[in-house]
Amino acid sequence: MLGAATKRKTAEERQGTMSDSSAVTATSTGPVTAAGRPAKTIEARGVNLFYGDFQAVEDVSITIEPNKVTALIGSSGCGKTTFLRSLNRMHELTPGASVKGEITLDGEDIYGAGVDPVAVRRLIGMVFQQPNPFPTMSIYDNVAAGFNLNAKKISKVQKDVAVERSLRGAHLWEEVKDRLDKPGGGLSGGQQQRLCIARAIAVEPEVLLMDEPCSALDPVATLAIEDLIGELKSRYTIVIVTHNMQQAARASDVTAFFNIEETGKPGRLVEAGPTEEIFTKPTKQETEDYVSGRFG
Amino acid sequence: MPEVARAEYLEELANLEASALGGLDLVNGALTRTLEAVEHQDIELAQLVVADDDRIDGRYLEVHQALITLLATQSPVATDLRLISALLHVLKNVERMGDQCVNVCKLIPLSGHEPPADEEMVRLILAMGRQTKTLIIQAKRAFEERDVDMAQDLVRQDDVVDNLNRDCFRLALEIGDDADKREWAMTMLLAARAIERTGDNAVDIGEQVAFVVTGLFREFEDASHPEV
Repeated sequence: MLGAATKRKTAEERQGTMSDSSAVTATSTGPVTAAGRPAKTIEARGVNLFYGDFQAVEDVSITIEPNKVTALIGSSGCGKTTFLRSLNRMHELTPGASVKGEITLDGEDIYGAGVDPVAVRRLIGMVFQQPNPFPTMSIYDNVAAGFNLNAKKISKVQKDVAVERSLRGAHLWEEVKDRLDKPGGGLSGGQQQRLCIARAIAVEPEVLLMDEPCSALDPVATLAIEDLIGELKSRYTIVIVTHNMQQAARASDVTAFFNIEETGKPGRLVEAGPTEEIFTKPTKQETEDYVSGRFG
Repeated sequence: MPEVARAEYLEELANLEASALGGLDLVNGALTRTLEAVEHQDIELAQLVVADDDRIDGRYLEVHQALITLLATQSPVATDLRLISALLHVLKNVERMGDQCVNVCKLIPLSGHEPPADEEMVRLILAMGRQTKTLIIQAKRAFEERDVDMAQDLVRQDDVVDNLNRDCFRLALEIGDDADKREWAMTMLLAARAIERTGDNAVDIGEQVAFVVTGLFREFEDASHPEV
């Protein structure tokens, strides 16, 4: 039995001090939870977002706090996903799209002159509505894809460590450790989404953006992802867009409500505050009407 | 999109509020009969009040279950959630007030058909009861109208009940040496105490009005820290 146990020694243990998160924790002055590491703060100031001449989001200012889950809620077309995509410079990938205002990550302007958008996206990872693993690529390679795409030169052992750590971080390791060479497309929907989360955290981002990460999943997979989000916040700043208000209530610490006055008008941030208060005593009637399901 | 979304749910919630607050009308009826039983030493009427408490308990169970179902199926939040939480408290108070009427009515047979009643003490207890009925009506109206000032005023109204209760106590102390009369006075003190608690229940309902409106719960009066 001892031999078997030794054989099963994890890649991380073999690497010894490979895990560098404790070093970060020890030297940083940022906020950190008991089992976590300090994450970074996003500040949006006077953010206006456009698709050509159409203004999709108007004058949004919000501080997205580290090691917390911030949920963006609001009806369709209110600009919450557009705003989310502006936080890691994905909005500008749409032809004609533009950004006015300032978004900083721990004080550094992510839209500053000379800032590489690819570097921003490495620091601020994204998980999408539909699980989108590379379907024919193996589970292992799906997770390691971030290193390959970032042309990061790391050894096989380091890669093994990172893949295992990421899969463990995404609560997927136990389910896939014996079939890492099988295609990612063969996993269930919930597993695929966790694989995408593993891929996103493999490159050690500071922030995770999630655009309706559970909308394509069944309730059991949804709750598994929500539990995972709750754990991930000890290491990352998390922003989640959701249409499911119960999910916002369950999984987030802060809720930001976006709304539009009428179709064709830009979305704006109505109210942001502790989730508990938004769902028990919101300050704005508009928020009250939305969270209570009273529209029109 | 419909003019008002979730119309059925909102109607159901409004109906349940009306049913819960309607429990206060049942209590008021029970208290009226209780006072009449005290005034006329009417043991049969007292027994009727005891039996009729099942209606109040039934209202409690029925509305409580329906509110739990709404919680489970409609995921109410914000004002709706506060309203449901408050109604659960109101129901508990309604049920307790019904029980206090039963407590008074169960005391009436103990003193027999022709007890050595003290007119002044009976007068005080009836005055307490009438004032408590006023409190119950005011609590219901304050809840219906979401009127925090009216709810807060219940404290002032309840002070009248408390003072009458203290007067009862003083009168009992000075009731004299006759053993039967003293026993009757002690029994009536228990009745006065039950009515006094009913007034406190009405004040508790007022506190729930403030919670529904403001989202903050605070006791209007803190018995354990009266100086605050």
